[in-house]
Amino acid sequence: MESADAGSVEAFALDVRLHVFRTAAETGRVPQPPDIAAALHRSEDDVVGALKHLAQGKVLILAPNGANIWAANPFCAVPSGFRVHAAGRSYWGICIWDALGISAALDADAVITAACGDCSAPLRLEIRQRNLVRSEGIVHFAIPAHHWWDNIGFT
Amino acid sequence: MLLFRSEDHIDRWSEARELPRGALLTPDQCWRLAHGWYKDKLAPSWRRHTLEETEALLAEVGLTGPFWNLRD
Repeated sequence: MESADAGSVEAFALDVRLHVFRTAAETGRVPQPPDIAAALHRSEDDVVGALKHLAQGKVLILAPNGANIWAANPFCAVPSGFRVHAAGRSYWGICIWDALGISAALDADAVITAACGDCSAPLRLEIRQRNLVRSEGIVHFAIPAHHWWDNIGFT
Repeated sequence: MLLFRSEDHIDRWSEARELPRGALLTPDQCWRLAHGWYKDKLAPSWRRHTLEETEALLAEVGLTGPFWNLRD
């Protein structure tokens, strides 16, 4: 195992980014630091450092007060109210923007089931050949764009 | 960014949190926003959108005005 010095942080962060997003896309599961360290043959400390670097660059979002990935946007690491079926797999998005973004990132048709933010009633959207062919409901952005990253969890 | 059954549900959600109503998008606007934002996220050459690119995407989707202002 080798440690990442300051000069190589950027290069290793790229390796971590590609691994995380590729794994999320190909499996529907966002890998966490121990998985990433094993796959890339590096220490978990190196991986956590790279993830923090990526989070600072708003490439992904870490869980509050931790080093686990909460979302490698658009892929959410934990179940949410936004489920996406695409490319024969199931994914989660942290919001409706990201749920739709999974179809865009995969460049795949998708069926999205989202819970109404107020009453939790299931709402269905379908993407086919890069077009929204079925939809229900209205999207609401509560936070003005300039403040999205003040509290990305709430946004 | 949540999806709601109707505007009534948005108002009920906002009132419960003592928040003003934010901005409403059609699902198609949100899809076009998501597509522009994420279509290249898996590419090795991906990089964050610049401020100007983000502004252009928002405008392309019809999201203009103070709510969508990204600058101070």
